[in-house]
Amino acid sequence: MAPAYALTVRRSRLAAALLILTAWQALASSGLLFRDVVPSLWRIAAALATTLTAPAFYANLRVTAFEFAVAIAIGSMAGVLVGLALGASHFLSRAYERWVHYLAPVPKIIFFPVLLLAFGAGLESKIAMGTISCFFPVAISVAAGVRGVPPVLIRVDRSFRATPWQMATKIYLPAVRAALLNGLHLGFGVAAIGVLLAETKLSKAGIGFLVMDAYHRFDMPGMYALLLLVVFLVAGVNMAVTRISRS
Amino acid sequence: MDATLSVEHVTKRFGMGETAITAVEDVSFDVAEGEFVSLIGPSGCGKSTLFHFIGGLTAEHGGRVAVAGETISGPHPAIGMVFQEESAFPWRNVIDNVGFALELRGMPRAERLERARHYVALVGLQGFERRHPSELSGGMRQRVAIARTLAAQPRILLMDEPFASLDEQTRLLLGEKVTEIQQQLRQTTLLITHSLTEAVQLSDRILVMTFRPGRLRRVVQVDLPRPRNDDILTSPEFGAYVAELWGDLREEASRGLQAAEHAAG
Ligand SMILES: Nc1ncnc2c1ncn2[C@@H]1O[C@H](COP(=O)(O)OP(=O)(O)OP(=O)(O)O)[C@@H](O)[C@H]1O
Ligand SMILES: [Mg+2]
Repeated sequence: MAPAYALTVRRSRLAAALLILTAWQALASSGLLFRDVVPSLWRIAAALATTLTAPAFYANLRVTAFEFAVAIAIGSMAGVLVGLALGASHFLSRAYERWVHYLAPVPKIIFFPVLLLAFGAGLESKIAMGTISCFFPVAISVAAGVRGVPPVLIRVDRSFRATPWQMATKIYLPAVRAALLNGLHLGFGVAAIGVLLAETKLSKAGIGFLVMDAYHRFDMPGMYALLLLVVFLVAGVNMAVTRISRS
Repeated sequence: MDATLSVEHVTKRFGMGETAITAVEDVSFDVAEGEFVSLIGPSGCGKSTLFHFIGGLTAEHGGRVAVAGETISGPHPAIGMVFQEESAFPWRNVIDNVGFALELRGMPRAERLERARHYVALVGLQGFERRHPSELSGGMRQRVAIARTLAAQPRILLMDEPFASLDEQTRLLLGEKVTEIQQQLRQTTLLITHSLTEAVQLSDRILVMTFRPGRLRRVVQVDLPRPRNDDILTSPEFGAYVAELWGDLREEASRGLQAAEHAAG
């Protein structure tokens, strides 16, 4: 891309951001809406500072990060295994793959009551929400990736009498690398949604809980501050995954 | 171990009912230990189908394949295959591609690299050890696949048009090297090819296949001395073998072309 073009792109982005902030500030000071629904930028900035200096924020962040990490670890591992099995076995794919496809777009939050009953209102039910969210995109991408592997490569492997484990680690995994990273990318995103959403229900800890808590206390600047932080955190994780997958 | 390969009454159909194609029909032959046999026939006559069958990669059996008299069910440890399609692993560099079979066997790294390097050099790819297949030409990629199978040092070597994407000169030189190894190790070899000169240059016997259904039309014994140096390749005897084969193949190939035109028209 030409440098001049890149500069124009960056300037347009900056201009749009400024426009949004100005509009927000104008709306806040216009008095058209109830004052607390659209707090001024200064009050949000102040709330941001308060939040970032309070130990409670970090304690809750740790809870969310832990839930998220466990959820993506279990969810993507299960997704990879199921995806490899569905992709490699014609029989399993014919028998079960449609279930995975039917369940994938169902909003997982409707299962949350079941998870609450099964795991209680603590960490486990939130982790379970993240796990099932992460599982589906990973399983589907990996299964499609496996089917995209050129048949001759599998024949080579069979002709050298590779064991099923060697087949999985030396052919399927490297061959589906791109599809896998794509699936993980999607999976991490929905796992974050699943965990945060679960935290907004019945939970007593986590960033999602803090947001709802701010809302219930009608601390709108505090709530917006938290929302901003969530957006930046999720974007940060996303960027990290993209960077890793390019390397 | 005796490395005789026997193919008995092999038949393979694709599809069912009206559209069924008999790709291979009742093909039987033996390849003796240390013998080099070529299978030649027009495109679409069932050579690759037979090749997969002998390699134990076809599920439904009609007929039997035996190594040293024992019926095989699935890929056999004595058999090494070079496939017609491009088959170098794109995510492995040349040396790791060539060492693949050794890695599966759990050969120690140092020994594996040494053996792999030897075969990389043998197919003329020294200096390209760390390159990935995407950085090589089509012919170089095919040589990687050949070296990978040779490095496994199979007692029985099956090759499906391994030299198809190479130029005539490289093909001659590589053919020479492959037969050198083959003679040294007394490998039982079955080579599938389109090329008449290649078949005569390399083989002890040549099997000619018919077009649809794929049957054996004829077996030609090549009584030329080895090594088949330039004098032999330019001799009238060599030319006579090629001409004789061409007579057979021309008929089958034109039947193949007509079938294709018929299907298209
Ligand atoms: N999986 C398959 N399903 C249906 N038909 C097939 C299949 N594989 C091969 N055939 C048919 O069987 C016939 C023989 O195919 P095969 O690949 O064995 O030919 P070939 O002799 O190797 O040709 P070429 O020299 O072009 O490689 C062809 O008519 C082909 O259409
Ligand atoms: Mg073929």
